[in-house]
Amino acid sequence: MSPSVLICDDSNMARKQVLRSLPEEWKDSVQIACNGAEALTILRDNSIEILFLDLTMPGIDGIGVLQGIQKLNLNCSVFVISADIQPEMQSKVKALGAKEFMRKPVQADVLLNNLRQHGLL
Amino acid sequence: MPDINTPISPAISEVPDVNELVLKQINSQIANQLNTGVLVVDADFNIVIWNRFLQVHTDKIPGNIIGQSIFCAFPELPQRWLSRKLSSVLQLNTPSFCSWQQRHHLFELPHTRPITTDSEFMAQNCTFLPIETDDNSKYICILIEDVTDACHYQMQLQKTLAEIAQISRIDGLTQIYNRRHWQDSLEQEYAKARRHDKKLSLIMLDLDHFKLLNDNYGHQGGDMVLIEVSALISALLRVEDTFGRYGGEEFAIILPETDSAGAIELAQRICRIIAITPFTYNDQVINVTVSLGVAQLSSREANYEELITQTDSALYQAKSQGRNQVCNATELL
Amino acid sequence: MNEFHLTEDQQDCLQELINIAMGQASDQLARYLDTFVYLKVPSIESVAAKDLMKTLSQQKNTMAVVSQGFFGYEGIRGEALLVYQEEGSARIADLLGYEPDELSQDEQLIDISSILTTTFLNVFAQQINNQLSYNAPKLLPNIQEILSEHLQQMPFTWDLALKVNINYQVTDYSFNCNMILLIPETAITNIKHVLDRILEEF
Repeated sequence: MSPSVLICDDSNMARKQVLRSLPEEWKDSVQIACNGAEALTILRDNSIEILFLDLTMPGIDGIGVLQGIQKLNLNCSVFVISADIQPEMQSKVKALGAKEFMRKPVQADVLLNNLRQHGLL
Repeated sequence: MPDINTPISPAISEVPDVNELVLKQINSQIANQLNTGVLVVDADFNIVIWNRFLQVHTDKIPGNIIGQSIFCAFPELPQRWLSRKLSSVLQLNTPSFCSWQQRHHLFELPHTRPITTDSEFMAQNCTFLPIETDDNSKYICILIEDVTDACHYQMQLQKTLAEIAQISRIDGLTQIYNRRHWQDSLEQEYAKARRHDKKLSLIMLDLDHFKLLNDNYGHQGGDMVLIEVSALISALLRVEDTFGRYGGEEFAIILPETDSAGAIELAQRICRIIAITPFTYNDQVINVTVSLGVAQLSSREANYEELITQTDSALYQAKSQGRNQVCNATELL
Repeated sequence: MNEFHLTEDQQDCLQELINIAMGQASDQLARYLDTFVYLKVPSIESVAAKDLMKTLSQQKNTMAVVSQGFFGYEGIRGEALLVYQEEGSARIADLLGYEPDELSQDEQLIDISSILTTTFLNVFAQQINNQLSYNAPKLLPNIQEILSEHLQQMPFTWDLALKVNINYQVTDYSFNCNMILLIPETAITNIKHVLDRILEEF
């Protein structure tokens, strides 16, 4: 049984990059959000187990989504995938509950390793 | 010696037929025949390589230099500044530059040009390039280009341009400003006065019976009078005033932050002093008088040209009232 | 439509590459300056050659323009212009870790520009498997005629400019600048090929 996955990024290419890295059998149950507001709607209405989240997006950004998840008290494993890779940003998202931080462009082996480490694969 | 300029293009990566030792020798000979200084330092800023260009342009002994800190070998280098610059090359893995236009030279190398320059040292463009070797050691390659010629000609050019700019503002005969520059200045002063709501006055003056003077004493006599009158008036002005030759025997003065009372006072002084000053030409005394018009900027003028017109009418009035006097434009209204 | 004639996918790909380049450049900058660099998503827009002077002159109080040429493999080359709007470069020396009397204001601007340009373009080049070399940066006189003359006298005719609006904020100190990349037509064609190659991988 594959987990329910949400990919949130304003870039189509970045979303494809994540999708391509996922195990083949997961791909049918993946949902897409193009910005923070869309992501929060999907998170509220569906039970999402794994979220791959970009940080810099127009409107509600990744930080906003993390705060929303905390507020809604959702049980969802968040993996941040961002171009903003400064150490301060990494600790900030971890403090907001993100499981891992991955730098863009995301590599398939790094992504799968992270999923394994958190027992999701 | 490590490669200095090996291309990293995937297309030219391997040259299998030439052995590595030969390649090294070729690289080393190129570096030594370059007309550019090549200096390589390690991550602690100790010198690893310096090429022949530097060896012959300094009087240091090669053996003593290798392994020395760049700051010991070249004590003239600004240590704090250069350390920070070199650190940026290492940390950011980006090149850095230093042009003679900002710093004439970094290394005190005597220049060898047969030209007189302002500095006894070679003007330099320096480039700092990051180098990383296969064993992950980091180095910085410093290229020192001799730009003494370029520097010299640029300086000459700037000097000449400044001279030309000055000449284009000056009237050749009287050495005061010419009409074009005077008018440009008025345009600026007018804009300034309008913007900041400041006072501004003009004086225009004309030598009386100048044609007669030319007829009696010749054009050279007339020229002498124009020169002396200009000098006399110049001595009476403040630095902020702009004095120009408006036409043949007509002059004009811009008086920023001055009202008509101040301008009239100055005009009367000019009128009086010229009238009592005897000008001598070929042992003959020439008496000269001037007529002057004065106007102060008011709310009525829509542009600076109208202020000139006002002042000119006052000058015309001074002429028609008998010359050798001052007339104020506001009294004409 | 934009003047680049990039497809939607190409545009998205380019924006993503620029975001990543900016992110890594900011990280390097933050480490070098030993502070946090606040990163806004750089917005990119294209400007047609004929409109660039208009765009530049619209920017009020343009204080300085620093120009630096770059060139790499596969005909990728151009000229980067860093345009500063506001006064306040007095603290750039401070930011770069220099004593204010160690370098002139011109040198500060040239130095910071070179660092911003080369860190950003290096990472950008890496992502498209390229490597760039750079000319020495030049401070252009802040006079419209000279600036427009400089733009006309480029060693290549460029057809459009990629304007990357960058806002660097370094903890308590922020400064704004626009990076404008002038790119000749052949280089644009090459960049499009590279973008297509990347997109094909999906």
